[in-house]
Amino acid sequence: MSDRFSPPRPARSRWTYARAQQRLAPYVFTSPFFILFLVFSLFPLGFSLFLAFHLWNPLDGLGNWRFVGWENFALALGARDQFWTALKNTVWIGLLSGVPQHLVALPLAFVIHQFLRRWQTGVSTVLFLPYITNAVAITIVFGMLYSENLGLLNYLLAQLGLGPVRWLAVPELVPYSVGAVVFWRYVGWNVILYLSGLQAISEDVYEAATVDGASAWQKFWFITLPLLRPMMFYAFTLTIVGNMQLFEEPFIMLGQGGGSGGAGLTSAMHIFNTAFRDLDMGYASAMSWLLFLAIFALSMVNNYLFSRDGGREP
Amino acid sequence: MNRTALTIAAALLLGSAQAQDKVTLTVAAFPSLDSAIKAIIPAWNKLHPNVTIKLQAQEYADHHNAMTTALATGQGLPDVMAIEIGYVSKFAEGQGLDDLNKAPYNATPYKKLFTPFTIGQATSADKRFIAMPTDIGPGTFFYRKDVLDKAGVNPASMTGSWEGFIAAGKTIKAKTGAYLINTAASVNNVIIRTNLKKGEGIYFDDKNALLVGPDNARFVRAFTLSKQVRDAGLDAKIGEWSNEWYDAFKKGTVATQFSGAWLQGALQNWMAPDTKGLWRVQNLPEKGFASWGGSFYAVPSKANNKQWAWEFIKFMTLNQTSQITAFKDNGAFPALLTAQKDKAFSEAVPFLGGQKARILWRDAAAKTQPIDVNKYDSVAEQIVQTELTNVLEQGKDVKQALTDARAQILRRAR
Amino acid sequence: MTSQPLRDAVPAPSPRAPRRSWRSPGRILMGLFVALACFLSVVPFYLMFVWATLPSDQIFAVPPHLWFGSAIAENFGKMMDATDGFALRQFWNSLYIALLATATTLFFCSLAGFAFAMYDFRGKRAMFTFILLTMLIPPLVMDIPSFLVMNNVLQWIGTPRTLWVPGMANAFGIFLMRQYIVSALPRTLIEAARLDGATEFGIFTRVVLPLIRPILATLGVVTFVGSWNNFKGALIMKLSEDPTMTLPLSLRRITGGATNVNADWGATLMMVVLTVIPLLVIFLFASRQVISGLTSGAVKD
Repeated sequence: MSDRFSPPRPARSRWTYARAQQRLAPYVFTSPFFILFLVFSLFPLGFSLFLAFHLWNPLDGLGNWRFVGWENFALALGARDQFWTALKNTVWIGLLSGVPQHLVALPLAFVIHQFLRRWQTGVSTVLFLPYITNAVAITIVFGMLYSENLGLLNYLLAQLGLGPVRWLAVPELVPYSVGAVVFWRYVGWNVILYLSGLQAISEDVYEAATVDGASAWQKFWFITLPLLRPMMFYAFTLTIVGNMQLFEEPFIMLGQGGGSGGAGLTSAMHIFNTAFRDLDMGYASAMSWLLFLAIFALSMVNNYLFSRDGGREP
Repeated sequence: MNRTALTIAAALLLGSAQAQDKVTLTVAAFPSLDSAIKAIIPAWNKLHPNVTIKLQAQEYADHHNAMTTALATGQGLPDVMAIEIGYVSKFAEGQGLDDLNKAPYNATPYKKLFTPFTIGQATSADKRFIAMPTDIGPGTFFYRKDVLDKAGVNPASMTGSWEGFIAAGKTIKAKTGAYLINTAASVNNVIIRTNLKKGEGIYFDDKNALLVGPDNARFVRAFTLSKQVRDAGLDAKIGEWSNEWYDAFKKGTVATQFSGAWLQGALQNWMAPDTKGLWRVQNLPEKGFASWGGSFYAVPSKANNKQWAWEFIKFMTLNQTSQITAFKDNGAFPALLTAQKDKAFSEAVPFLGGQKARILWRDAAAKTQPIDVNKYDSVAEQIVQTELTNVLEQGKDVKQALTDARAQILRRAR
Repeated sequence: MTSQPLRDAVPAPSPRAPRRSWRSPGRILMGLFVALACFLSVVPFYLMFVWATLPSDQIFAVPPHLWFGSAIAENFGKMMDATDGFALRQFWNSLYIALLATATTLFFCSLAGFAFAMYDFRGKRAMFTFILLTMLIPPLVMDIPSFLVMNNVLQWIGTPRTLWVPGMANAFGIFLMRQYIVSALPRTLIEAARLDGATEFGIFTRVVLPLIRPILATLGVVTFVGSWNNFKGALIMKLSEDPTMTLPLSLRRITGGATNVNADWGATLMMVVLTVIPLLVIFLFASRQVISGLTSGAVKD
């Protein structure tokens, strides 16, 4: 096409280039995720879905599987199957650790942000410490704390004339003991998240409130909480997803079987055991998809709660 | 004897006569076997300077998970795969390891050179022999002589019957305050593993019929006696590999421990070195013989250097010097019968107060029977352990617990 | 820091936190609350460091030792022995992987988070929902197919990139970045930069990146910690010989598991400390970055 008769063209062309760039940019910027997903995750996901409908002992090698239809799902969903016990344990430990996590982390972040600004670096560093530990460190340290006869916890209780408590031996106590570790490990992480969120809230809002004579409590309730919504949604989602997939802490503290009476056997541990100890990949895959559905349902509830009463979409 | 020596010599000669190309042989193992391999590598290098050993050692459970993945995909496999006894039967039932009965291995003549039960353990239901044994963990009964003496209990009175064991425990508790055993569950674990009838595995028989249930005398007895131990306050309620466990060893607050012979090395090296001379060993109650730990070497069907893998395995398992080197390195009890006759085995063990314990262990190993395995053993084990906890911790009725265990296992064993 | 208490006593003219009531019961209660939280966070670390300095046979002494011993050098020597001298090499392997993982994750996740926060484009909602969904999938049974991809398709097995490439742009990071940018950056800022003639990528590097430093620090620390402590990946992807092994694998190997009769607690604790130190250093460095976000006033203008 000839552009001999259109002098304004150069200007318009520059404009179109900018427009095109602006339109394409988000796709380019988000493409790495999708490319990596295609390369590294799509096949594994498809494979595990495929296996969910098969009976396969991995030691028999690729190809030596047998199609069983919905049998694996039916097995897991049958009454009294360990899938349910494990799911119940998971939810219970998740609640015991997850609810206090946010009940403590939110006010903690608020207090640090409002009143301890000067020490914020130090305090947040210290609170974040538990998050950076590794599996072996946790085993050793909490093994020492929970020891029945030698542990610091029972030593302290003894000073008060109590105990000894068999923290990891009584099935009813196991979820609390494990929950406490999970709580300890992730409170600081949530504090950091909330601090990041708080820093994004404009100081002007607080100043205006101070001028109006608002108390700390009022500021927390009417300014901090509503403005922290996006970060709270994020933190809640992570807690739900993380707790429903809880594996490392109970696995290393209680061992593969989930400790006394299997009271600390979480869904993720049960899936892992089924896959690598019992060598039943099909059943394990089916359960991991069922667990996915459970997590999905809980996330939907979370999403609904956050988008229900006004505010911007999370 | 002579024929054995000849066979080994011939095997070794054959090895050194092979091609002199540079070869890298990958060996995947776990602790403490890796330490034994490292101790033996210098001798191997002298014999085969052209074959470099590349050792891939992982934590015990990590190693077996990695091997499961490798066998599942048939890729990334080492040339030589070490397998612990708890996994060897499972791995035998899979299809990824070479049958050593067949050419080029032709291992059949070697089988009689090893402690017999190891061969059965490494043989699949369809008679494929998939791994050569290198070390064994004869099950044994450790006791604190000082504690038993103080209580005036004759150790021999504890091995006649489980009832005698428990009666002695009551005396020990009354006279010294020491517990009989770390956990009541270990009574169950020995009883269900020993004195099995012909054709019986632990949980299933050789026709895949489930044995666990309220009508099986072995399980009822195991659960009932465990409960008696717990109800009489004779167990310290301590899990193995916990800080309390090590502490109990140091202080002598628990009088006895069922374990593998290797526990002596661990006690001596790091768990309770100061208790030297206070420990003794004897056989398990009611002439029970069981194995606690042990290692094997296998060749994956998709290994790259099968010839050299086989030479290496023979060097590790059939060479008496290698077996003794491993024994001296970390107390790995040889699976090779001739190595068990080495003079080191009739020597007194200072840690056990000069007892000639290794002779006892050797005889115990000879009497140990291979245990029939079933692919749902691990499922059954988890469920039985959970029900046993219910009995011990919550006072659940024994028969009811076994009825529930049976129902749950049947669901999963399809 | 030493003069802190003195300076506290002097009423500082602060526009946002009036000093008048810092002695009030409420304040003291809050201070105690924070102090308790800090104390509980630190105790296990303190114990870990104490144990690493004790001789092996006293680590599990009863009652537990609560003060430092003098066996540091001894335990360090034992650790080097237990790893055949490879402990520091393995330390470097882990560091190398963690640094690459952190750098790439920060870049790709903030880029994608920026796109989801600041652009309107067709399919945005669906794409974002999809990313969130992938986060919900339990990764437990994907070891075997992941190994197949790395081994058969890419032939990367045994190399460090198996550990940092797949997670470069991950759902968790994108989600975090998006949530932060939505609340921290006004769209007008982007429009203004656009009017100034900046390219879209230029807006990201020159306008967005400097303004999201606090959250970059957070994600950076999390990524670093995750990569540093990851043992399962290294196991499956066969970084399993002494020279290529990562620190967590090595640490697990020398601990007293069910088959290790030569376990040594002094060596183990020393290695635990070795795994914790770089995390401490990185985080001390990063928390300054978190704070620096406070002073960058441009965020709100």
